[in-house]
Amino acid sequence: MHAMLTLAELTSDQELIRKLLFCATLLPLVSSIFTLFLGTKWLKKQTGQFAVSAMAMSFVCALFAAFKFTTGDVEPFTWAIPWIPIPGREAGYLYLGLFCDQLTVALMVMVTLISTLVHIYSIGYMEGDKRYERFFCYLSAFTFSMLGIVTANGLMQLFVFWELVGLTSYLLIGFWFEKKGPQQACKKAFVMNRVGDTGFLIGFGILFAQLGGKVLLPATDGGMFDAIAAELGGKAEIMANPPMWLTIAGIGLFFGAIGKSAQFPLHTWLPDAMEGPTPVSSIVHSATMVAAGVYLTARIFPILTPAAHLFVCIIGLITLVMAACMAVVMTDIKRVLAYSTLSQLGYMILGVGSGAYIFALFHLVTHAFFKCCLFQCSGSVINMAHHQQDMRYYGGLAKKMPLTALAYGICTLTISGIGFGSWSFLSGFYSKDGIILGSYNYAHELGGWGSLFLWGPIIVAYITPFYMARSFALTFLGKPRDQHLYDHVKEAPKTMVGPQLVLALFAIISVPWILPWEHMIEMTQQSLVANGVTWIPGLHELHEAHHGIAAPLLFGLAGLLMIGVGIWMYKDGFGKAEFLLKKVPGLKILHTWALNKFYFDHLYDIFIVKMTKCFAGICSFIDKWGVDGLVNVVGLWTKGLARFTGGFDNKVVDGLVNGAANSARAGGQALRTTQPGRIRVYVSLLFVGLIIALMFALTLVAN
Amino acid sequence: MYDSLLNWLIFTPCIGAVLCLLLPADKAKNIALGTTVVTLLMTVSLALAFKTGMQGPQFVTTLDWIPAINVQYKIGLDGLSLPLVVLTSALSVLVVGAGWKIGKSPNVFMALYLFLMSGMYGVFCSLDMVLFYVFFEISLLPMYFLIGIWGGPRKEYAAIKFFLYTLAGSVCLLITMLGIYNVTSSADFINGNTWDMMALQSEAVQALFAPSGEYWYFARWAFWLTFIAFAIKIPVAPFHTWLPDAHVEAPTPISMILAGVLLKMGGYALMRITYPLFPDAASLFWECVATIGVFGIIYGALCAMAQTDWKKLVAYSSVSHMGYVTLGIAVLTRTGFDGAYYQMIGHGITSAMMFFLVGVVYERAHHREINKFGGLWLKWPQYGGWSMLGFFAGMGLPGLCGFIGEVMVLLGTFHAADRAGADPTFVYILGSFAAFGVVLTAGYILWMFQRIYMGKTREEYEHFEKPNAREYAIMVTLGIAALIFGIAPLLVFNYTHATFENLMAVIGLAGS
Repeated sequence: MHAMLTLAELTSDQELIRKLLFCATLLPLVSSIFTLFLGTKWLKKQTGQFAVSAMAMSFVCALFAAFKFTTGDVEPFTWAIPWIPIPGREAGYLYLGLFCDQLTVALMVMVTLISTLVHIYSIGYMEGDKRYERFFCYLSAFTFSMLGIVTANGLMQLFVFWELVGLTSYLLIGFWFEKKGPQQACKKAFVMNRVGDTGFLIGFGILFAQLGGKVLLPATDGGMFDAIAAELGGKAEIMANPPMWLTIAGIGLFFGAIGKSAQFPLHTWLPDAMEGPTPVSSIVHSATMVAAGVYLTARIFPILTPAAHLFVCIIGLITLVMAACMAVVMTDIKRVLAYSTLSQLGYMILGVGSGAYIFALFHLVTHAFFKCCLFQCSGSVINMAHHQQDMRYYGGLAKKMPLTALAYGICTLTISGIGFGSWSFLSGFYSKDGIILGSYNYAHELGGWGSLFLWGPIIVAYITPFYMARSFALTFLGKPRDQHLYDHVKEAPKTMVGPQLVLALFAIISVPWILPWEHMIEMTQQSLVANGVTWIPGLHELHEAHHGIAAPLLFGLAGLLMIGVGIWMYKDGFGKAEFLLKKVPGLKILHTWALNKFYFDHLYDIFIVKMTKCFAGICSFIDKWGVDGLVNVVGLWTKGLARFTGGFDNKVVDGLVNGAANSARAGGQALRTTQPGRIRVYVSLLFVGLIIALMFALTLVAN
Repeated sequence: MYDSLLNWLIFTPCIGAVLCLLLPADKAKNIALGTTVVTLLMTVSLALAFKTGMQGPQFVTTLDWIPAINVQYKIGLDGLSLPLVVLTSALSVLVVGAGWKIGKSPNVFMALYLFLMSGMYGVFCSLDMVLFYVFFEISLLPMYFLIGIWGGPRKEYAAIKFFLYTLAGSVCLLITMLGIYNVTSSADFINGNTWDMMALQSEAVQALFAPSGEYWYFARWAFWLTFIAFAIKIPVAPFHTWLPDAHVEAPTPISMILAGVLLKMGGYALMRITYPLFPDAASLFWECVATIGVFGIIYGALCAMAQTDWKKLVAYSSVSHMGYVTLGIAVLTRTGFDGAYYQMIGHGITSAMMFFLVGVVYERAHHREINKFGGLWLKWPQYGGWSMLGFFAGMGLPGLCGFIGEVMVLLGTFHAADRAGADPTFVYILGSFAAFGVVLTAGYILWMFQRIYMGKTREEYEHFEKPNAREYAIMVTLGIAALIFGIAPLLVFNYTHATFENLMAVIGLAGS
């Protein structure tokens, strides 16, 4: 019906990769549908194994595709079928399809791997839950949605899966919907994400209005925005003096990322999302949902104007610093990790914004492994400790759960970015270090107050090891603070410990000199550069600078130092910390503020939730008494008028009753009387009379 | 053969209605079900015979009715009417199913319902203004009785409100119609004046109603009068207050058809009559109409949020969702029109489903207070699952039918920014407010979902019997439809494409 788009023919390698990615994406969906309908009746306790095997197959497909893609020297490609017609614009359709470049395959492998491990972990964690089968259904559906985002070939398809991630996360966070906490948390997550989505839709709408159907076109091999970039003409020139709408559109789209990646000011849903089962936390807050926002920011990177970049950086910086402060004071082990996630996401967003594109995405991958592992370890502890999440009751658990403690320890070192000079055996060092370099460059570029972008990440690089060491020390070291709890704790079952150790292993071997994550992401960046994205300061220099300045030394050792301080302070419980709190002036206030999450929840509750409800009440009131009141008053008046004319009719014009007058009076009486039976008769009379009168009039007119 | 089939389609329900009244009362349900199934089959065969590439109406029957004033009995199907006819037929079967347990004189209920069906088919198939008007009114009367007799405690109030409200709109329509009939004599039709909708879209008539034409002043008035006539039906805020009352009082099956099909008559008539006849007036006032549409989206959603009556919440959600229809039409872009049309189809499915889901619970609990529910999901996991599908489709989740209409309307709105004479800033603000509607929608639906479905099952609902097979059949059918139309929008657009192309040419927006 409309002009169809002709896409480049795929080579046989590309065709194979397309099919593999297709399988990898759809297998979780199939598994999800299967467990939904047959889980409780047929698979029962085998559901977990079934879902795991589907996920593992998906992982194998993704891995094979990645292998083929990197070794076969395959060009990025796109494939699409028309979905929703958007007539009158060049593309003519919204497309559904698949876009594949190095970044896509890298993230596919990462997501499927982590999802597989989380599925395995869930077998142990969710054992005995009365909706065991349903959990795997949701988990697989969630993975499918995330894979959909990664393989999306255009912004609108990305948005479709974006929303599906919202839905499935709603189901997962609210999995234990009998309890009040999860109910509130899942609703909050969904609504806050929708706030971000509104920004996304507005941004997309503005692009659509300004650039036409080109924004609907499937991604071509230059990246998702090649068509748009081509429309903009010389990119560097445009970005030197960008139009206002482009900045607004970029910020609008980025708002979607703010929602999903839980950046300030939409960050409050993420800590609350801890109400979900821990496997959910471990997947939502590592490889998937929150990663989607960073992924989106990376994909829209080419159209962000300098002003939009600044905006992205500011948001990242605020989140980074604020969340780190909160993580220091929390006593709930999962909340510490949640705020740590926020803070790390802030790093990534800052990284993308400041031009450290490679390292931001690399940090996405490394963070996914170590954070997933940390959550799983915390889940094991919580599960063994009879769902006690408060670290005040832990202590000395390393003796009881040595393997969990080992995995947690490795990941603590990784997130702290331990390194020696420019070399490390832990992946976190490389990724975080790169981001700090990026912000260093960016701060340098801006000058003046721009140095905040350098000092923020550096200070947080000192805070991070501290709060991680704190959580490690409080949980695993020192003497048990709750003997009863301590006595009952034992090492988690194999299905839980296994994935933890594998993840810890990946946290180590993701270093650039073993696994090629960084290399693959770099290829994507190169294709961006080849397509003319040059307005980011120091894109090349960044990578060069990476090998040989003194800065890494500073951060790498900072990690060791602060871990030492953290362990020293907290290995015997809260004694030293409380002492400090008493002695150092001003610390108490900061502590209270951080403990209350800087009062954002209160603020939002009063100014947004309550105000919206109040506004809704006002609207409803106006509706009932204003609009409807007017209608009723008109009705009453008509009734009075009818009574008057009725009387007039009876007394004065008595005897002169014709068909038309009859029906009019009937109408009046229908309004006057309150007996239901008579209303019906009269109104039907009125109606018939009206029709007859009409016909009569028409015939008269015609003659 | 298909020409006569279309006639049969309109009048078969009448025959069924008469049979319902004549034969014993306990047979009525079966007769009604039989009739709806037969009409569904007729509709399907019409859809199969429909030539998708044709712009004009197909299966046309033209008979002289009142020759003296050129009133014709002229019916036909085109891309604008066919999907709505299919929706009517398909929903009708489900509505009869939903009304299976009607206790009070089921034969009269079914007979009235079948009469209503004839009216609905007539509205969607008429190609003559007078005929359209007659069917438009005919569909009112059975509805009045269906609410007034089988409704809830305030049924009389609701029924008469519904009736008089719509009748007020009809008066506006009637005035305009007579006016159009009178002024078209100067358009030099060979046979004098006409009521023929297709003939009225000719260039000669358009020239009269253009800013440079003889009747520009009339056209502007006529635009607003017909707009109000149909806006009451849609309903566009602030002409909507009949709707919550009517829905709250109406029995479940009637709510389903009221929201599912009757509201669509308004949107359909805007696309069929108001916009093709007065495109210049429409483009003069587009900002105003679009603002009304956006106002409806936000206002309806806020009102829905404040409700404690479950059914009223769903009713207000209709006001909000139909705001997208108004907006999509108002912005005068092809994407907007397509989106508005799809929104009508999608809303036809989701609103019917939502009202049915409410009805299932109401039948057992005998109340609809949202705050008195809780834990229904735990009690009936399957019902909970289908409810989630239904309400989330209403919320516009991708993959379900609500999404496509919404997103197309939004894109169509933004598209208006580069239409000649539109101020981009205004368009962006308009689009932003419309986009903000999705947050409010998520807010009230999720809040409702939390209060009704989540949590522990309350004691008073422990003894509830499960939804039976009939109820599940209806839920599942609607749910699957929501899914199918959320995934494959081309199912509808293949039928509408050619007609919309033509419509755009008539409105003078062929390029956009």
